[in-house]
Amino acid sequence: MSRFSRPARFGLLCLAALVAVLLGIGVGSVPISPGEILQVLANKLWGAALPEQMNPVIPGLVWSIRLPRVLLAFCVGASLAVSGAVMQSLLQNPLASSYGLGVSSGAGLGAAVLIVTGVADSAAGTFLLPAVCLCCGLATMGGALAISSRLDRNLSNNTIILIGMVLSLFLNAIITTLSSANPDYTQRITLWQLGSLSMKTWKQLGPVALAALVCILAFWRLSSELDLLSFGEEQASAMGMERKRVKWLLALLVALLTGTAVAFVGVIGFVDLVAPHIVRRIFGPSHRMLIPTCAIFGGGFLSLCDLAARTLASPSEIPIGSITALIGAPFFLYIFFSSRKEAR
Amino acid sequence: MLHAEHITCGYGGDPVVRDLSFSAQSGQILCILGANGCGKTTLLRAVAGLLPSTGSVTAAGLDLRTAPRRQVAQTVAFLSQLSNLYFSYTVYQTVEMGRYAHRSPGLFGRAAPGDKDIVRSCLEQTGLWELREQPITALSGGQLQRVFLARVFAQDPKIILLDEPTNHLDLKYQIELMEQLRRWVAQGNRCVVGVLHDVNLALNYADQLLLMQDGRALCQTDTQALDPALLDRVYGLDVRGYMRNALKRWE
Repeated sequence: MSRFSRPARFGLLCLAALVAVLLGIGVGSVPISPGEILQVLANKLWGAALPEQMNPVIPGLVWSIRLPRVLLAFCVGASLAVSGAVMQSLLQNPLASSYGLGVSSGAGLGAAVLIVTGVADSAAGTFLLPAVCLCCGLATMGGALAISSRLDRNLSNNTIILIGMVLSLFLNAIITTLSSANPDYTQRITLWQLGSLSMKTWKQLGPVALAALVCILAFWRLSSELDLLSFGEEQASAMGMERKRVKWLLALLVALLTGTAVAFVGVIGFVDLVAPHIVRRIFGPSHRMLIPTCAIFGGGFLSLCDLAARTLASPSEIPIGSITALIGAPFFLYIFFSSRKEAR
Repeated sequence: MLHAEHITCGYGGDPVVRDLSFSAQSGQILCILGANGCGKTTLLRAVAGLLPSTGSVTAAGLDLRTAPRRQVAQTVAFLSQLSNLYFSYTVYQTVEMGRYAHRSPGLFGRAAPGDKDIVRSCLEQTGLWELREQPITALSGGQLQRVFLARVFAQDPKIILLDEPTNHLDLKYQIELMEQLRRWVAQGNRCVVGVLHDVNLALNYADQLLLMQDGRALCQTDTQALDPALLDRVYGLDVRGYMRNALKRWE
């Protein structure tokens, strides 16, 4: 990659992400060419006429099913990758993940309670499920930070990581207990925890896209602070950063970003861990570049993973969390070992 | 230039530093000496405003304990010993971060017009200009500490606080670092306050010494006027005798 200039690398990344999105829309039981996708978009957005010879199924398939799903995958991937990058810098821990503050476990518990009580299947469940998941995720993160700051006035990273881990394990134990006590719902709870993008429409895309846009822009604005934090809180503070205020703000934004994504699609692992490492290797660690490139890479990556999830075992669907782990784990190992080889 | 009065601080529980006062004058290097655990680093962190403390710390008319961090960082910079690096920023990017405190806190915190020149000058001053595109993770300990020194220079403070910055450096790099700091101080209206473990280095480069014992100041004195008995008391051994023996064996 180093033989290409940075703008060229950025251009290639954008192109790859666009190809991933087009593949996500185009590949499936009814194949759709990029030209047809553009024609449908032009028709829906600007009222351009559709060619007569076009398969009449295609406009609905593109606009109502595949496009919102792919865009949702893109937004969720971007959210997870960026929040992972932020968490790694915030906690100066390359293995930190956006789920580290207990957001996913909190959301998972909310989902499990709604599933076993039957509320998730009621008429209000469609909206109640994400809302409750988001609130539970945010509350868990708030609880983790509150306990950490109570135990440790300086809100040190080790305390946050430890409390986040303990809370996550505790909530996961409750989820497991709930799931075992209600065997009828075990499969549903497990599937929710592995994440899914099926049956998603524009309604789910709206809040996820809004949270992604607002939080990612905010992180981009805070890129200097994230750079300073990468060297440790004390150094960041000595260089002029208001440590506690920035840390709280970053943690809240991460929780909002991750919480919204988890609330609508469930827990999708590995993107937040793997994407920042790969992007740092290609574009360097400076957050002014890392934040936007992580968003594009994460978005493109999850679009491809979703394509695999819905086509590999068609007509049934593989949970997307399994796909991200299946692709992510070996890819991560490859990156890790090739960078060690280079370092020698 | 820097006045610390009646400083008491610690990490919860009993205070580590108790009712300690000292001052540092412009154009001077003040070294804090004392046995392990006597509270040198704790004192330095309190002076830098990185640890809550009681008492008062003023520098160039600014109360360092209560002023906004950005303003404090324009007055005081902190150079600590090398720690773990997780991300491979380039030398240039690392030094450029020193300008953070001088950027406007507005929406995009844009770099000031002269920032690039200042960063370049700091890189040249520390002999790092040729290495500017190197990732810091590929540097030796000595080179890395030079990068952090350049970042401290880029911060353009009035006072530099040193927390054992020569740890893990060989003799040549230790001397190089101290020489660079001496040249920096000589530019006027500046001072350095440092914790050094190496008594030799401290005696060679400090204009003033602050001796600490059990969290309190034993004395603050000109290096030339130091009573060796006080040094013996601080370290619990005959320091001059030890140095004489070492020199005799070598000769």
